[in-house]
Amino acid sequence: MNHVIDAQGLTKRYKSTVAVDNIDLQIPAGRIVGLIGPNGAGKTSALKAILGLATYEGQLSVLGKDPSKDRAALMQDVCFIADVAVLPRWIRVWQLIELTEDIHPKFSREKCLRYLASTKVTMDHKVKQLSKGMVAQLHLALVMAIDVKLLVLDEPTLGLDILFRKQFYTNLLNDYFDEQRTILITTHQVEEIEHILSDLVFIQDGRIALNSSMDDVQERYVELMVAPDNAQAARELRPLNERELFGRHIFLFDKANREQLEPLGELRTPSVADLFVAIMNGGDA
Amino acid sequence: MNRMLALIKREFWENKGAFRTTPLIIAGIFFVAMLMFLITFNHFDNEFQSLKELLRFIAQQDAGLRAKILYEGNLEMSVFFSMVLAFVVFFYLLGSLYDDRKDRSILFWKSLPASDTMTIGSKLLSAMVVAPVIFWIVYVLTHIMIMLLFSIAIMALGENPWTLFLSLSNPFEVWGLVLVSYFTQSIWALPLYGWLILVSAFAPRIPLLFAILPPVVLGVLELWVDFLHTFTVNDNLFGLFGHWFANSPLIMSADEHNDSFGAALGIPLTSDYGHQVTVANMFDRIFSTDMLIGLGIAAVFLAGALWLRRRATES
Repeated sequence: MNHVIDAQGLTKRYKSTVAVDNIDLQIPAGRIVGLIGPNGAGKTSALKAILGLATYEGQLSVLGKDPSKDRAALMQDVCFIADVAVLPRWIRVWQLIELTEDIHPKFSREKCLRYLASTKVTMDHKVKQLSKGMVAQLHLALVMAIDVKLLVLDEPTLGLDILFRKQFYTNLLNDYFDEQRTILITTHQVEEIEHILSDLVFIQDGRIALNSSMDDVQERYVELMVAPDNAQAARELRPLNERELFGRHIFLFDKANREQLEPLGELRTPSVADLFVAIMNGGDA
Repeated sequence: MNRMLALIKREFWENKGAFRTTPLIIAGIFFVAMLMFLITFNHFDNEFQSLKELLRFIAQQDAGLRAKILYEGNLEMSVFFSMVLAFVVFFYLLGSLYDDRKDRSILFWKSLPASDTMTIGSKLLSAMVVAPVIFWIVYVLTHIMIMLLFSIAIMALGENPWTLFLSLSNPFEVWGLVLVSYFTQSIWALPLYGWLILVSAFAPRIPLLFAILPPVVLGVLELWVDFLHTFTVNDNLFGLFGHWFANSPLIMSADEHNDSFGAALGIPLTSDYGHQVTVANMFDRIFSTDMLIGLGIAAVFLAGALWLRRRATES
């Protein structure tokens, strides 16, 4: 059991559609994995299977447990934020902390209070009195105070402003992450998390389109920016994708020979967002 | 164990208004009514010119009669609490697995290491034990408060409350009866509780509608089919429910005996149990074959609710 998540042939069907289609996925410990995909690609379905929130077909083991059978036991070592603002609205902050402390054996009240001290959240606040950003801060404070092996974040910052989002990921990286922990994140705001990721998984139509460490991505993919005169030459080297920006052509290459490309123009590492667009559009090439 | 207590604490916090404030409001109503009564008797002409005259009249009555009135008065007072408690528990269970699905906070609750079985158990225990005990405590305190107020008023008039009424009543007996009736009712009502939890687990909206409509439609259909067959209206779902209701161990009136309740409703209910308010009568109901069948039905409903709860986050 070296892998935190080990899925083989993971499939999730809803009545007529296949949301997750025969996925194989292994995630080792100590990684921050970004699960990126367009709407309806099956990200949330896959996460729900991993968290024991939905039934599935195929083999799935999370920290050595079967999530569909052992959700309660699994939740001792796994924590998740499924969406912003799913904390019960009627509850007061102190009640929430007390409940989590009573139910979760690995929760540290001191840690939680320390995280909350830097926010405007007070003990007597009811969740419904808090702004969306404050609810997210509260939830993150709760979750970061729990000493788990796997943290799953599904669109944790949706609808929050840029200041909250930056703070959220800074806290996560500085105060929480270490070699023993694994974090699995899905988000549409790829550019905000790409610098914290160690691994990248693209998912499209229920299948994995890319599964690679960020180091490999940087080695494997290269972007070439050329003037229009060189565009045809670049095109002949069979790029994955081509786009135009300010009259210059930008080509994205997979496993290209850099020496071949260099004379044509300027080489750089593609952003995850550009890579995402290229791979999603390029399809099964 | 700790987790179970935490989950029950959650139920109490979430339903503080229903579980705690409601009985306190009833206590307040009794308190205000009591004051109004005392003021009325002190200030207005009446059959008795004053409270003092009333007390003299009472003092002349037979001690046995006075004891009976005190006993039944205490029971009648509990009926008010019991009826409201029944409503509170009904609506609490109807929302128990529905509210957190509606506001999506189920995703938070499911992120805690507490099993769905434990969650449903905590809700059932809150309905069966926590709410009844809180109502019972407030009822007892209200009774004490009224006895106290009466005694003070009587003493202010120079009479002795002890010989007048305090020595005649044994409140512990009635308090005990009411508490036992709450617990036996919790068991007797398990099929209904199971149904309400099941409905709260599957209703996509308006759980009240989903709780009431299916049995009513089924009952009407049954009635109709029966009628077509036999041209008579025989035992059916409605009869079954009426039978269950009329036999409920919950104390619904002080002088419940020999079908008086069913007769009062005008329904020809067959009653298997004596309805005189005694502990033995209450136990008769829950140690019966009817109850055994009821428990079986409750178990099916609860298993269904658990199955649905496990899948509540599917879509």
